Amino acid sequence: MLGQLIINGLVSGLLLALPALALTLVFGILKFPNFAVGATLTFGGYAAWVMNHQVGAPLFVAAAVAATIAAGLAIVCDRLIFERLRDAGSIALLVASLGLSLVLENICRFVFGNSTRNFDVEIARPIRWNGLRINHEQIVTAVTVILCVIILQLLLSASPLGRAMRATADNPALAAVRGIERNTVARITWALSGVLLALSGVLAGLDRAVDPLLGWSYQLPVFAAAILGGLGSPIGAVFGALVIGLAEELSTLVLPTNYRQIVSFAIILLLLLMRTRGLFGAKAVRK
Amino acid sequence: MMIYLSTVIVLVSVAALVGLGLNFQWGVAGLVNFGVVGFVALGAYTAALSVSHVGWLSAMVLAAAVSAAASTILAFLSIRLADDYLAIVTIGFGEVINILLLNEDWLTGGALGIANIPRPLSSIIPAAQYDTILPLLAMLLVALTFAALETLVQSPLGRALRAVRDDPTVVSALGKPVLVLRIKAFAVGGAVMGIAGSLHAFYLTYIDPGQFTSIITAYAFMAVILGGRGSNLGLLIGACTIMSLIEATRFLKDTLSIVDGVQLAALRLGLVGLGIILLLLLRPQGLLAEPHKRIRDFFPDSEETH
Repeated sequence: MLGQLIINGLVSGLLLALPALALTLVFGILKFPNFAVGATLTFGGYAAWVMNHQVGAPLFVAAAVAATIAAGLAIVCDRLIFERLRDAGSIALLVASLGLSLVLENICRFVFGNSTRNFDVEIARPIRWNGLRINHEQIVTAVTVILCVIILQLLLSASPLGRAMRATADNPALAAVRGIERNTVARITWALSGVLLALSGVLAGLDRAVDPLLGWSYQLPVFAAAILGGLGSPIGAVFGALVIGLAEELSTLVLPTNYRQIVSFAIILLLLLMRTRGLFGAKAVRK
Repeated sequence: MMIYLSTVIVLVSVAALVGLGLNFQWGVAGLVNFGVVGFVALGAYTAALSVSHVGWLSAMVLAAAVSAAASTILAFLSIRLADDYLAIVTIGFGEVINILLLNEDWLTGGALGIANIPRPLSSIIPAAQYDTILPLLAMLLVALTFAALETLVQSPLGRALRAVRDDPTVVSALGKPVLVLRIKAFAVGGAVMGIAGSLHAFYLTYIDPGQFTSIITAYAFMAVILGGRGSNLGLLIGACTIMSLIEATRFLKDTLSIVDGVQLAALRLGLVGLGIILLLLLRPQGLLAEPHKRIRDFFPDSEETH
């Protein structure tokens, strides 16, 4: 029983890791929490569903197409909205991102309606091992997320692009002096966040089903994960996501399942009360 | 038609009250509250649960008090945080209130909500005239709230709050208690949202969690941005404009037969989101910019210098 909960918790934590990374990367560069993460996730989920169910592409192809579309969307939104508001302060940016979230979510609702949509995947028998039940979707989620995290970590720590991103996050003025364009770095970061969100949209759609509120239901745990890790710290976001996933799953031992979301809220409040910088906050910018 | 008009007036009044509350918190004091709907719902449920025990006026006061108390606690816990974190905590608060309303059946009736909420003065006013009287009451409530908030904004407290919004460091260097000021602003705004919630409950006579979605928060933000942050008069104009436009989309359904109910709701919300973005980009100061005092307002004889 406990083992099963821990496995479920770790996998749902991994599912939170990608959107939490998307949130924290954008925060690192542009210093505002993007409230459109949930809606972009939903958008990516629908894009993949159209490719998969309507066009008939295999799911991984659909996911790749959705990731490309979401990356493009994120860049366009940056050009049209966020780039123009960059000097208006973080409040204007976060209110604008809330507006964008409404627009994206309701485009999906307008086109696809409120009903839930499932991907065309074969239903596989869950694997049983020592009394534990592991779904096919859980394995897909775990493998995808772990691969993404490793690739992203390599990108951030060992590539010129990653160095540029970290430099801009650390000190945009100094980075600009060294010839690193803030706007270019910002655009690449937006594209990365779009890819991550679309992939998590596919995984979330596999886990439950795609509906207009899919992303919204992840919003609070994703923010909790990113804050727990210290906003701006990628490795912290992954760690935070695992903690939130485990905490939500284990809370079902003592709380009714309907109250899972409250766990995220409680963790955010407790953490902000005791340690505003998050667990990895001191290392928000790793040099 | 009369009933339709009175519906619109009450809806506009509720939206205006919510907007006035948010304008005090965000426009005047600079505190982002993404959980507006939570405070409105709290007010509505408090009023609905208490009205049959204490009467409508006390129920309204109680609704304001409960929302103000919740605001104070939330503010006390989170208001020293930067704007981004406050936004996150308040959005979480809104979600938590919604979850509680859905699941604490013994108190809130769960998804079914509370029905048959007695209307104010329904024993005195004959039912036939009620649809004309209630809009008048609602407008009176808006007028009173507007006057009270406008007085607060003009008072030394309002001045201090604007200063906190513009530069908290300077304010605390001048010896003002920034934390207390912010909590006061948040509590006053919360109280007004609670009153709005009670009006909502009294008007509809039944409430359920489905009525309190993030659309209420979105309308309030749109109204504040459209009216001009910090300007109460602008807010009233903003709220009226938005609610009229939203109501106008209702007629789209008759002209465009392809648009069904879900699509209409999506269209409204999407347009509100688009409106928020466009206003921030094109007219961030809103319709009416916050009135700025000049030296001449205080010293009529002085030479005008900036």
